[in-house]
Amino acid sequence: MLIRQRIMQCIKVFMTTVLVVFPLFSQAEVTVTDSQGNKTLPDYAQRVVVLNWDLAEQILELGVIPVGMPDIAGYREWVVQPTVPNEVQDIGTRVEPNYEKIASLKPDVIIIASPQADLQNQLAKIAPVLFYQTFSASHDNAQAALDNFSYLAGVVNKQDIAEKKLAEMKSKIQALKSRLLLAYDGNLPAVTTMRFASTTSVFLYGGNSMAEYALDQLGIKPALDLPSTQWGIVQKRISDLHTITDGTVLYFKPFDQEAALSRSRLWTSMPFVRANRVNSVAPSWSYGGAMSIKYTAEAITESLLELAPTQVDDVNQ
Amino acid sequence: MTALALMLALFLSLQLQTDMTITKQYALIAGLEPLEFVEVDFVYAVLPRLVVAMLVGASLGLVGSLMQQLTQNPLLSPLTFGTSSGAWLALVLAAVFFPDLGVESNTMFALVGALSAMALVLFITGINNLSGLPVILAGMAVNLLLGAFATAVILLNDQYAKNLFIWGAGDLAQNGWDWVQWLTPRMCVGFVILAVAPRVLTLMRIGQQGATARGLSIMPQFLLLLLLGVWLVSSAITAVGVIGFVGLLTPNIARYLGARTARDELFYSLLLGALFLVLTDAFAVWLSKFTLDFIPSGTAAAVIGAPALIWFSRSAVKAQDQMVFRLPQGISYLKKRVITAILVGLISSILLASLFVMKESSWLFSWPDAFSWSIRWPRILTSLAAGAGLAVAGTILQRLIHNPLASPDILGISAGAIFALVFASMFWGITIFEAGPLVAFSGAMGALLIILLLGKKHDYSPPKLILTGIALTALIEAFVQFALARGNDDVYGILVWLAGSTYRVSAEQSVTLAFSVTLLLLVAFSLSRWLTLISAGRDMAFSRGLNGSVAFVLLLCLVALLVAFVTANMGPVAFIGLLAPHMAAMLGAKSVKQQLIVSALIGGFLVQFSDWLGQVVLYPAQLAAGILVSIIGGSYFILLLIKGRVSNYN
Repeated sequence: MLIRQRIMQCIKVFMTTVLVVFPLFSQAEVTVTDSQGNKTLPDYAQRVVVLNWDLAEQILELGVIPVGMPDIAGYREWVVQPTVPNEVQDIGTRVEPNYEKIASLKPDVIIIASPQADLQNQLAKIAPVLFYQTFSASHDNAQAALDNFSYLAGVVNKQDIAEKKLAEMKSKIQALKSRLLLAYDGNLPAVTTMRFASTTSVFLYGGNSMAEYALDQLGIKPALDLPSTQWGIVQKRISDLHTITDGTVLYFKPFDQEAALSRSRLWTSMPFVRANRVNSVAPSWSYGGAMSIKYTAEAITESLLELAPTQVDDVNQ
Repeated sequence: MTALALMLALFLSLQLQTDMTITKQYALIAGLEPLEFVEVDFVYAVLPRLVVAMLVGASLGLVGSLMQQLTQNPLLSPLTFGTSSGAWLALVLAAVFFPDLGVESNTMFALVGALSAMALVLFITGINNLSGLPVILAGMAVNLLLGAFATAVILLNDQYAKNLFIWGAGDLAQNGWDWVQWLTPRMCVGFVILAVAPRVLTLMRIGQQGATARGLSIMPQFLLLLLLGVWLVSSAITAVGVIGFVGLLTPNIARYLGARTARDELFYSLLLGALFLVLTDAFAVWLSKFTLDFIPSGTAAAVIGAPALIWFSRSAVKAQDQMVFRLPQGISYLKKRVITAILVGLISSILLASLFVMKESSWLFSWPDAFSWSIRWPRILTSLAAGAGLAVAGTILQRLIHNPLASPDILGISAGAIFALVFASMFWGITIFEAGPLVAFSGAMGALLIILLLGKKHDYSPPKLILTGIALTALIEAFVQFALARGNDDVYGILVWLAGSTYRVSAEQSVTLAFSVTLLLLVAFSLSRWLTLISAGRDMAFSRGLNGSVAFVLLLCLVALLVAFVTANMGPVAFIGLLAPHMAAMLGAKSVKQQLIVSALIGGFLVQFSDWLGQVVLYPAQLAAGILVSIIGGSYFILLLIKGRVSNYN
């Protein structure tokens, strides 16, 4: 908590400095921030090539259409939202993006994440490279995604949209939270989210996962204490879930063996299954950007409302 | 005695997995209705897991012994017949192209895949030729080919295959008795094997001629037993995934413990198989108590199995390989035309890679600009050097261990490099690409050191070397599967590295690689007299005043260095070391010097051409050269083996 506050403070200080100092250098150059510090660009970027899905998602959320991004078919299948317009060019796979294709798109800036970290020098021959690390064991992934969102906004000159979207997300999550509080009469359950790997093993979303951050924002505590890891997931045997006695368990779809699961004595004798404190959640990409926190929070709330003791009508509908 | 040990192991394993009192456990086994979660867990997770471990272990042990006795080949494992890679490819295809199929159809897929792979291996080697190294090497070729196909499919559709990796790592965990019920009827053929096999196997020990003389045609029964065995193994791996070592290890332990008759060996292998898997699975459960992610059973089995295999088989393996090297048939002398054709192919391939420009819907030739050229030349240089280096490594190795089917992969050198990189990326929290060639190179050298240390005891006999290589490779594969099963986004990077790509090789790296390979090629060339002598048999070499052991170790180090340099820079590239020397010989390069030069040219051409092809077939995505080489080379090789066999019969 202390670290997060400190990071926020740093960001605030930094943002103010940028805002104050900015007009002095106006027109000539733009100072931007990535995970390696401050860099200068000749101007705000118009033509953006982005080499990782979570960053592509961030750029699209900022209302900018990248000129190139990797494996668009895969993105449409797994990340889904925000949608990729048809004019975006495919530049190959995430780990082996096609240099010559990227060069032919004449980008103003190339945005990369850790899977492309070692390509930085080569890519720098094409255009300035900005590196944004989202997933690391040594920081808070969700906070990094939020910070990167603001930094990226500074690159494409969409600071207003970023601020608006972040504020919107905050109020949206607040609204979701109050709906949950209403439905649960002020007593929110502890919740652990997971994905099934098979009928015998699960990936639990623990510390440093987007799902746990979303839950935290909704005012919900984890039902199982799991340490922070680089990707926020821990693989466990299904029997290990029995220690969740009072909490609720939500699992992300898709999972094609629900029928087998409902027949399983092991599963049906889990305390949370017996007490009917288990539900599925609409699919969502686990390694996304800032706005994926909102989508995850929405999906989780949707699922939790179905389990709630008091059914409340959605006031917005 | 073994049965007693098995009972004890079962008991211990139970106590490890539950905290309930023994009387309570007994009551639950006797039929008490479980109420509490711990009780349900005991009845529906712990017990079925134990039963599956026993069933699978027993059947793998039984089939391992059956196959080793049928083929009289102590190096044979049920997985040699390509069963696991066949099942793996089938599962991957099913997951990607028919993601909505249920578990039942997936099971069918795996079974069909396993059986087809076995049919392919049998077809290549021929029923009469199962006793020596050829079947193991043919099995390895099929494994490599199917594995390369599977990796290519996974790389292009990575998200679909994510949940399959747990199967790949081999896990015995159960949720209810479904799999036990599925397995039990299929395991019944085990009784048929136990009933029929001892007589046939005993007769086979007398020799096939002797058996025929007694008015017995063994062939139908031989085939039937083989089929039943593979059916049993396919069922087992379909249910729990890939669990190596049991089938290879237990017959060797059984013989070590003194099982003499065919029946004894079958029976002891069965019991030992069950014992081994129950114990290693208990080990996996116990380890998982201390680790954040759980440890799959297959990983634990490999960790214990690899050293055990090397230990127990140290006296069991006899030198039964052909001791004089014989080249594959083909054109009898090297024609100038052939060399010209290879050179023309090589040069046009290099030109193609330099000048070809791909566009969205068209292509053209043009002079590359400075940037394109700076991307292209390191890849061209790397692929040429890698191909030539591996081809020469293969040429040397095949002559060293007197087998034209040997590939440098079997030494476990590239496996060592893979291990170092995956280990570094798992525990240092960096991506596999950041770990870099130095880490890979030290891993490869570590593997070489192990091979040399272990090989010294038995004077570097080829079967032992291969056995050590198999053990090392299987151990490392299990470890890699474990890393892949962890389900995070690092998996993709590991897979891409395993594919063997020139994409990330920098200009400096490519120059260093080319320089080192050229140097090593010159050394190889200057040592060609040694190779000629060793090819004729070690005794011959010795009588001509060559210190066999020293020469052998030096040449082996040369092979290892070549493989290590290539693997460290572009990842594992299979098949070239097997294929290029073979093709060179077929084209008429019969002397050592000729074969070294021609195979280097062919190897360079094949890898470089594959590298270019991989960049254009799926543009803008790229397919790694290593995968394309495996697919092209593997298919060619299998066709060649089939053709060779057919013509032998005529």
